[in-house]
Amino acid sequence: MKKFKRRLSLTLRGSQTIDESLSELAEQMTIEENSSKDNEPIVKNGRPPTSHSMHSFLHQYTGSFKKPPLRRPHSVIGGSLGSFMAMPRNGSRLDIVHENLKMGSDGESDQASGTSSDEVQSPTGVCLRNRIHRRISMEDLNKRLSLPADIRIPDGYLEKLQINSPPFDQPMSRRSRRASLSEIGFGKMETYIKLEKLGEGTYATVYKGRSKLTENLVALKEIRLEHEEGAPCTAIREVSLLKDLKHANIVTLHDIVHTDKSLTLVFEYLDKDLKQYMDDCGNIMSMHNVKLFLYQILRGLAYCHRRKVLHRDLKPQNLLINEKGELKLADFGLARAKSVPTKTYSNEVVTLWYRPPDVLLGSSEYSTQIDMWGVGCIFFEMASGRPLFPGSTVEDELHLIFRLLGTPSQETWPGVSSNDEFKNYNFPKYKPQPLINHAPRLDSEGIELITKFLQYESKKRVSAEEAMKHVYFRSLGPRIHTLPESVSIFSLKEIQLQKDPGFRNSSYPETGHGKNRRQSMLF
Amino acid sequence: MEAVGPDSCGGGDAARGAEGWPAPEARVHFRVTRFIMEAGVKLGMQSIPIATACTIYHKFFYEINLDAYDPYLVAMSSLYLAGKVEEQHLRTRDIINVSNRYFHPGSEPLELDSRFWALRDSIVQCELLMLRVLRFQVSFQHPHKYLLHYLISLKNWLNRYCWQRTPISVTAWALLRDSYHGGLCLRFRAQHIAVAVLHLALQAYGVEVPAEAEAEKPWWQVFSDDLTKPIIDNIVSDLIQIYTMDTEIP
Repeated sequence: MKKFKRRLSLTLRGSQTIDESLSELAEQMTIEENSSKDNEPIVKNGRPPTSHSMHSFLHQYTGSFKKPPLRRPHSVIGGSLGSFMAMPRNGSRLDIVHENLKMGSDGESDQASGTSSDEVQSPTGVCLRNRIHRRISMEDLNKRLSLPADIRIPDGYLEKLQINSPPFDQPMSRRSRRASLSEIGFGKMETYIKLEKLGEGTYATVYKGRSKLTENLVALKEIRLEHEEGAPCTAIREVSLLKDLKHANIVTLHDIVHTDKSLTLVFEYLDKDLKQYMDDCGNIMSMHNVKLFLYQILRGLAYCHRRKVLHRDLKPQNLLINEKGELKLADFGLARAKSVPTKTYSNEVVTLWYRPPDVLLGSSEYSTQIDMWGVGCIFFEMASGRPLFPGSTVEDELHLIFRLLGTPSQETWPGVSSNDEFKNYNFPKYKPQPLINHAPRLDSEGIELITKFLQYESKKRVSAEEAMKHVYFRSLGPRIHTLPESVSIFSLKEIQLQKDPGFRNSSYPETGHGKNRRQSMLF
Repeated sequence: MEAVGPDSCGGGDAARGAEGWPAPEARVHFRVTRFIMEAGVKLGMQSIPIATACTIYHKFFYEINLDAYDPYLVAMSSLYLAGKVEEQHLRTRDIINVSNRYFHPGSEPLELDSRFWALRDSIVQCELLMLRVLRFQVSFQHPHKYLLHYLISLKNWLNRYCWQRTPISVTAWALLRDSYHGGLCLRFRAQHIAVAVLHLALQAYGVEVPAEAEAEKPWWQVFSDDLTKPIIDNIVSDLIQIYTMDTEIP
């Protein structure tokens, strides 16, 4: 029991100065470690704050488990890695990891879209095997793989899966499930045909591709694995977040292909991004379509925000649109990142146009409202045909914002006058201008909504959820609010895309914008 | 491998086999997670990244047989991966040096020779392997923030004198950190673990929640309405197992 106290107190070390105040406890996450990070290997003499009552209580609790403490020689701790690090037999260890990876990449490769693979024996998996003499229905496959509803798997693959299935009296193991997924072609690079390149960055190259499995177009985001760093953290975050996000307005990740040198993320293919869309209609969009797109942005974003995921990098290049007018949020590489970089890995400047003033002034506050400023900027850009604040530097960006919305004061933005960066810039005192002068095509409801997005104080910005209920969207009818998450708004017959007044030709040409295509998909 | 060697005192937690790992494995995991926590603190990691590293480690060995890979290598890669997931990027070199010091206290940092590079590559390779085994599901909801909210609510409810006299918050926090020595994070929901450590801390100090007797439902059900007393008891008993193991493992 003494040891229990000792161990308990061990984790209390460094926190003894932090007394009962809870606000301090909240900071403890940092303080605690900061104060103890330079500690020598384990401090075992921390003052036990445990009282007698705790002791006896735990005594009572542990009565049944209690064993005489057994001492073991100290030197054996971690013998295995100790010797590993001394490398008397390093070769074998290193080979193990390597061999296994190779085995994986041809055999039991993982598949990304299979949420069902969470359980070793998912219900669908089992029932699929029990009625093996029947044809595997499309629904089963879709459920298992959460593939898009319109997936077409060639008959040959299904037959192959049925023939090669192992005996089915026992439940399918994870490995054999994976193997069967692999047989239909998931997780294999051979399943995808690379078509033209869509764009390139330092970490990723994006290709248009076609899946032999479904004959659908896909976007292949090929991430080179840096030998020294391993998988880039943007890729890890993007995949780990996207796997949890299943929504009609969020781009679907179909598959992940691992090879020795690269990691390829297979996304659904959408024809263009919002930037190209606006270009293609000469920057004159139908105001009805503006409303539909804005609603879909908010719908996708509200879903992310409910799940505590921030996008953090909203811009027209990250909003993908297909010919039906369905809009999907893409590129979650920066999502949930604590700091937004100003330069990409390839040293290109990250656009500042959609970044909120509090972030430009150095705030690292971390809330869903951070995305809402960008929504306002994009809304304006769709409605007026030009970017709202096309600044080239942080100062220029802030200057443009203040010139339109008025230079903030302590009254309009409490706390701003004590912000050092703000003081250093010493901006002229601009008066706010009416937004309607700059976006004459917006109706008064639209103006009211955009004003709610463009609030200096992040906590005053309207949330995505509330914004969807704004009167501006009333003309879309009531049913749009009750759609299930995975259903597109275009499934309602009253929701239809209109012809954009400035649209040049109906079939999308591959000309012109080649260079800037799909910046969005790049890190 | 030494860490899984036969153990003469494993009788106490033989019952673990039913719901978690068999006893000897639990002991290995206890040691290795202790290493993760110590190395994490020395690497300047905060609570959440350390919790993520431990969760990644436990999740990996939930799927993979313990003797397939060196658990300490997996632990080092867990630290590295957790740093990426939680945006507290660590350098492989620092991880290697800290680990080397852990196993050989007082030794010099390793030479930057081919063996060092091989070790570093194996951390990176192992990280990729882990990402695949875990199907990239490496973002977790930890109990920490729930615990903070529960503590704040409870503090306002309890009388101030009682709160100041007993280190409830610090104890609950410590219990939570220690819980990562076992795989509780895989078996229980974050909210439930947060309530259970708070419950244990309160009981340990004999602090009663005011008006508990007259209340319609117990205080913890207000925090998490799908929580039941048996779940709390299971979590507490798992915690006690961890502390029991601590008395037995040097």
